[in-house]
Amino acid sequence: MSQLSEEEREKIIKSPPVGTWALMLIVSAGMVAAWLFLYYGVFLPRGAIDSL
Amino acid sequence: MHIDPLGKKWANITQFIASQFKGGDPIHIDPLEKKWTYIILAITGLFVAIIMIDALFHKINPPSHVETIDSARLHLSEEFAEDNLGVQVDGKGNVMVRIVAGRYGFYPKQVTVPSGTPLTFRWASMDVIHGIHLPMTNMNTMILPGYVAELKTDFPKPGNYPLLCNEYCGMGHDHMWASITVVAKEHWAAPVKTTSKGGSSHE
Repeated sequence: MSQLSEEEREKIIKSPPVGTWALMLIVSAGMVAAWLFLYYGVFLPRGAIDSL
Repeated sequence: MHIDPLGKKWANITQFIASQFKGGDPIHIDPLEKKWTYIILAITGLFVAIIMIDALFHKINPPSHVETIDSARLHLSEEFAEDNLGVQVDGKGNVMVRIVAGRYGFYPKQVTVPSGTPLTFRWASMDVIHGIHLPMTNMNTMILPGYVAELKTDFPKPGNYPLLCNEYCGMGHDHMWASITVVAKEHWAAPVKTTSKGGSSHE
């Protein structure tokens, strides 16, 4: 059971969701970094298919 | 009275999108969820922009060669007749590789090409849609019956590259493979015409 008082609970609910923001930023940055690595580090170095 | 359910639905959707941008709130969306949506849209926009810039200014495009051929008469065609398949070098020194795909094999099954040399691959299907994929290289395209798939590439590193059909073509699809052997340029000898003749993938 939660041992928070009603005041503490209210304070947490009204405070900015820092943990969620941190998670969103980590996931976003990780996804962008992984995509950029695959695109610039793997896909492009293999060379363009030069079709006529 | 005329009822237009699709038009009404569309009107509702556009009204909803407009109200979201205006700050209205016909359907409650949590502000955090909204921000997350904007982040996803921004990331997607970034990826699309990068791909578009490379496509428009650096010509990074999927193979789009359009040339028709009668798939039912490949063996009678001048170019894809059996004796003409495999690796050939023309008078200007260009290396050309012609391969036919058919259920369930590539003909010829094995070709040897030089590394670090521009290569032109021409593919034709004798029956259904096939695909080619050489892992760890840029070789990846579909082979549509009725069309010649052409692409130019080069292999910087010598080695044995497995060639896989990556388009489901029937019950034997997973047995449809071939290999491309890449040897150092100085060790490669241009084959005499018809050296690489059509072997079967079933051997």
